[in-house]
Amino acid sequence: METNRRSVVLGGAGVLGAAALGFPKPAIAQSEPLRVGWLAAMTGPSSAPAVGFNRGVVVAAELLNAAGGVKGRKVEIITRDTQGDPTKAVNATQEMISQAKVHAIWGPTNSGESLAVTPIMARQKIPNIHPCVVNSLIDTKKYPNAFRISPSNVQWDDAVRSYCLKQVGAKKVAVIGDTTGYGVSAAKDSSAGFKKDGAQVVYEANIDATQPDMTPDLLRARQAGAEAIVVWSVSTGMDARLFNTRARMGWDVPFVGHPSMASGEIAGLLEKPANWEKVYAIGYRSCSYDDAGRLPPRSDAFVKQLKGKVELNDTLLWWVAAGFDAINLIAKAVAETGSSSREDIIKYWNTVSKYPGVYGEYTYTPENHDGYPPGDVVMSAANSGKDGTFKLAPGYS
Amino acid sequence: MSVRPSAEADPVLGAAEAAGTPSRTGWRKAWPFLLILAITAAVPLAGNDYWTLIATRAAIYWVLVSGLNLIIGFAGQLAIGYVALLLVGAYTTSVLASGNLGFALPSFAALGAAGAFGAVVGVIVGLPALRLRTFYFAITTLGFATIVTQIALAWQDVTGGGVGIVGPEMPAPFDSRIGFFVLCLAAASLCTWMTLNVAASRHGRALVAVRDADVAAEAVGISKPRLLVSIFLFAGAVAAIAGGLFASLQTYITPDAFTFELSLLFFIAVLIGGRGSVLGPLLGTIILTILPEFAAPLAAWAAFLYAALLLVIVLVVPGGIADLLDVASRRPLPPERAIMPRPAALATLLETPAGKPASEPMVLKGIELSFGALKAVDGVDLVIEPGTVHGLIGPNGSGKTTTLNVVSGYYRPQAGSARIGGCELLAEPPEARARLGIARTFQTPRIVGEASVIENVMIGGTVLGHATLAEALLALPRHRADEVRLREDARLALRAVGLEGLDEVRASRLQHSELRFMEIARALMVRPAFLLLDEPAAGLSTQEIKRLGALVSDVAARGTGVLLVEHHADLIFDICHHVTVLNLGQVLAAGTPAEIRTHKEVVSAYLGA
Amino acid sequence: MLYSILTSGLAVGAVYALIGVTYNTMFSTSRVMSFTAGQLGMLGGVLGSLFTLRLGIPWPLGLLLTLACCALIGIVTEFVAVRPVLKSLDQHLYVLSTLAVALMIQQFTAIMWSTEPQPFPRLLGGIGQDLLDEKFWLPVVTCAAVIVGLELLYRRTILGHAFLAVAEDNFAARALGLPERQLRVMAYALAGAIGALAGYSGGQLLLAFFANGPHLNFYGFIPVALGGLGNNRGAVVGGLALGLFQQTANFVVGGIFASVAVFTIFIVVLLIAPQGLLGSATARRV
Repeated sequence: METNRRSVVLGGAGVLGAAALGFPKPAIAQSEPLRVGWLAAMTGPSSAPAVGFNRGVVVAAELLNAAGGVKGRKVEIITRDTQGDPTKAVNATQEMISQAKVHAIWGPTNSGESLAVTPIMARQKIPNIHPCVVNSLIDTKKYPNAFRISPSNVQWDDAVRSYCLKQVGAKKVAVIGDTTGYGVSAAKDSSAGFKKDGAQVVYEANIDATQPDMTPDLLRARQAGAEAIVVWSVSTGMDARLFNTRARMGWDVPFVGHPSMASGEIAGLLEKPANWEKVYAIGYRSCSYDDAGRLPPRSDAFVKQLKGKVELNDTLLWWVAAGFDAINLIAKAVAETGSSSREDIIKYWNTVSKYPGVYGEYTYTPENHDGYPPGDVVMSAANSGKDGTFKLAPGYS
Repeated sequence: MSVRPSAEADPVLGAAEAAGTPSRTGWRKAWPFLLILAITAAVPLAGNDYWTLIATRAAIYWVLVSGLNLIIGFAGQLAIGYVALLLVGAYTTSVLASGNLGFALPSFAALGAAGAFGAVVGVIVGLPALRLRTFYFAITTLGFATIVTQIALAWQDVTGGGVGIVGPEMPAPFDSRIGFFVLCLAAASLCTWMTLNVAASRHGRALVAVRDADVAAEAVGISKPRLLVSIFLFAGAVAAIAGGLFASLQTYITPDAFTFELSLLFFIAVLIGGRGSVLGPLLGTIILTILPEFAAPLAAWAAFLYAALLLVIVLVVPGGIADLLDVASRRPLPPERAIMPRPAALATLLETPAGKPASEPMVLKGIELSFGALKAVDGVDLVIEPGTVHGLIGPNGSGKTTTLNVVSGYYRPQAGSARIGGCELLAEPPEARARLGIARTFQTPRIVGEASVIENVMIGGTVLGHATLAEALLALPRHRADEVRLREDARLALRAVGLEGLDEVRASRLQHSELRFMEIARALMVRPAFLLLDEPAAGLSTQEIKRLGALVSDVAARGTGVLLVEHHADLIFDICHHVTVLNLGQVLAAGTPAEIRTHKEVVSAYLGA
Repeated sequence: MLYSILTSGLAVGAVYALIGVTYNTMFSTSRVMSFTAGQLGMLGGVLGSLFTLRLGIPWPLGLLLTLACCALIGIVTEFVAVRPVLKSLDQHLYVLSTLAVALMIQQFTAIMWSTEPQPFPRLLGGIGQDLLDEKFWLPVVTCAAVIVGLELLYRRTILGHAFLAVAEDNFAARALGLPERQLRVMAYALAGAIGALAGYSGGQLLLAFFANGPHLNFYGFIPVALGGLGNNRGAVVGGLALGLFQQTANFVVGGIFASVAVFTIFIVVLLIAPQGLLGSATARRV
């Protein structure tokens, strides 16, 4: 039942040429494989992102290897399923470093795990690139080895806030998070941001995602005069209940916030498809289509390349793209420097400027490891999902 | 468990085991632990930080499980949600060391403070155990686990909420992988040593008695609340310290690191290890920590496998690993053994300074007790003189055992008094009886089947010990003196009742008649001023009844007042000095055996049959 | 506002009450509190969704299949986790065996179904708002129907009398020649079906979500603890009260503190009245 999403990964792609991606021709000399550790929460709750990332990882590795590897070295992905448990992530990280002797690590994929393993990786100075949004994970002084491929929470926050204030024109907002660690801290940061920008946070709450009825919270938000509701939760069940409740209250307030609101699973949880209108979730320019249904050219090429090889209709394009980019960033460092030593990879990454990834154009400097271009974080219409891409929300061109 | 006769039975097995010198038995018990310590200590030699990390983790988990083992394995309280204490310790240490409260403690001081705070929280989490049983208590511990997680999430300014907090960094030389490993291993070794000390102390035996024979535990003077609270303090403290070390190992903690699965690991480690053992749960902890590392592809099924393992253990080997390792208990016992009481041993036992010869009689006056509309005891008067045997007879349901239970304090009568001299027994709780010199046996022997015979008997001497739990943990001199004396006394008591040579045998392997004598030995441990025997001859052979009679007479001859509830008329008339006959809760007749034997109403109501 | 607390409070309360009745039904014939009660509720939702949404079976048939599956799981529980440990003197073993079975059910569902909440079908279509919305009245109506049905069963049928006799005193019942073991198996099947009904009727509220099990275990146990073991009416009163209290707490103090409030009050009440507020039989120790 759940396997459909996973088993397709194993089938994978393999025949596509890598030349199109602009890598230098591989050197003839064979040496040890380039080992990349991949800390993935492949099972357990909140495993959907890792499953998506993994598709990109597998494709990237297969393309690289089909083209002769990186400087003649085979790319070997060493995957450990952490199940989203920080304890397992710590064990797996140490295993990758000490036992599997990986050259770089991609992941982990959720913040709780990343918070625990980042200091351990820093102590070992292992090159690490991850997609976790918590701000404190990137600190070039404390963790000079850690790079972020995705936007930070601040970037997410900024995008949501500016959309609420400028496009929706809301002066009064309600901020709702779930009761998980992420939900609590994200809601708090978000409220602080709104207040700083002069908006009024008229209602702030953390809701237990399993709470069967969201009416009390929405009623209070309405009474407080909220003109937009900002949601920070990874729970699709909670998202759907919020949308259904809004419809039943006959309220047309917009929801703005976390990407999970655009998750395909919500479709089945809605009482009416119309309940999903006026919901704007965080998206990315590279993975959003315009009114004419067109993706940006580089993404379009990527999707065409994946066609028939990788399933996109049950995941998000940005997950696949980010996984793909991460492996290529590691490979690129080795290809450019000719070395897979920890220092060389990190040194190379620090010089990356406008690297043309599928998901975004990354730029890193020794002082800034938040490489995702801020302007590329956009809002998208949550109910417009099509093969993992979304339509830009009203107001973007 | 029945005793199977066998050709290669070793008739001197028990004696040989009992005769092992202390240092030799000590070595025999210690070598598995030393072996585990040696293997674990050698892990870093492999030069692989990963295995050092796993070994460190196992050591930290064991610090927690060693305390939890006393709660689950020994006291039998099903604390499922003990990850709550790990969380409390981890957060307390991290918060105090981080300076989120406006001041920062050095890591070790923070760890110590966490231990102290954990002890308090341990008591709070454990307190429901004093009122609630099994499933109810299990659920409340889960409730606590949820509450502390929610607090860690909500109290953002201090705990960092969902973003979490940096774990404490240990000072050099404990800041490296190896250094930290050595620290954790030392803590684990210390905990092993301490829990082994407790297990072999009167406190450890008392815990097991509370678990398997709580009524008997009260009768020998064990106060369950005090005992459990002291254990909760200890287990809470070590669990919180484990939490601090865990936080340091993780380097960073968030509430989602404290999963139910982790709680389950602790809980199941104790159960697959086996109840009432220290070695078993230690092995259980190691196995459960390492297993997932070997079974990486099965990560998704880990929790399922834990559950399956638990089910298999419960259904197939309820005794756990400890039971599998316990080879000695599968060796056959001598099939033909006789219970041979030894008056000389009895004399030595009862002449020790601890003996309190009764000087004043126990006087029961006008005892009335009804259950609803049923009058179980209706104005019973009874006087038990020191140095005599007082028989209490009557048909079934006439109120004999109920009277005994009133004296023991299990029932509170609606009217009447029970005094020894100036002391009103009815005002005292059941567990005060042992100190007042009142000991008893039960209609169905209430024993700890998993403990050895001598340990069962030593339980009887619980009130004679002086060392506190803290002294026992650290094996201080007073504790060692207690143990030597109790063991010596128990050996004497066993010889006195005629169970010589069975000291180290598991009580569950004894025959029913032997258990009755074992209960008497347990009762004799306090050198009782009054001994209450509830149908001691039931199920005994004629020969054994004779020996029982002689033993009881001997005990009385040394100054103890014996109250004997019995159906065997011969035994009653042989050894009693006075007999009281009950019928429908009232005294039908009282007098010397000769008078009773000819009492008309008695003969028609009872003896006539 | 009050209206919303009432509708959703009564609806979830009815689901909790039904889980409480599930506990009681298993307890009555075996003296065992089983951790599987909440999992049966979870399965009611998951199987309902599986049969009707995934496999496209019409819902009345899907409901019957769901009830049958859960009744079967009840029977399996009896054979695997209850019967073998009843013989044992150790009081605690049933806690462990039923916990093990419950965890296996949950993990199996997580892996084979999904770890994300899945939709549950609407049964009768949108015929009303608020209290008239089926997702609110279905659990309440189901709860009432189950209670009435059980009362009729216990009072009017020979089988029901036999259940009561076993619940009262199983030694005496066996002495009377009642097939105590078969009755216990039937009680477990019945409990499975009641648990399934709880999950099925509450499916639109709780969704088909593997993690509903522990949640229902806890919130379904509270009515039992408050109402007294084996007391079905107590469980209903307790369940509805809990539902209302929980929704009020959600409303007044918000998500995080609401669950802390429920847990804390539960533990305190339990400590004050271990036999429940409405009382149940106590055992003699000596």
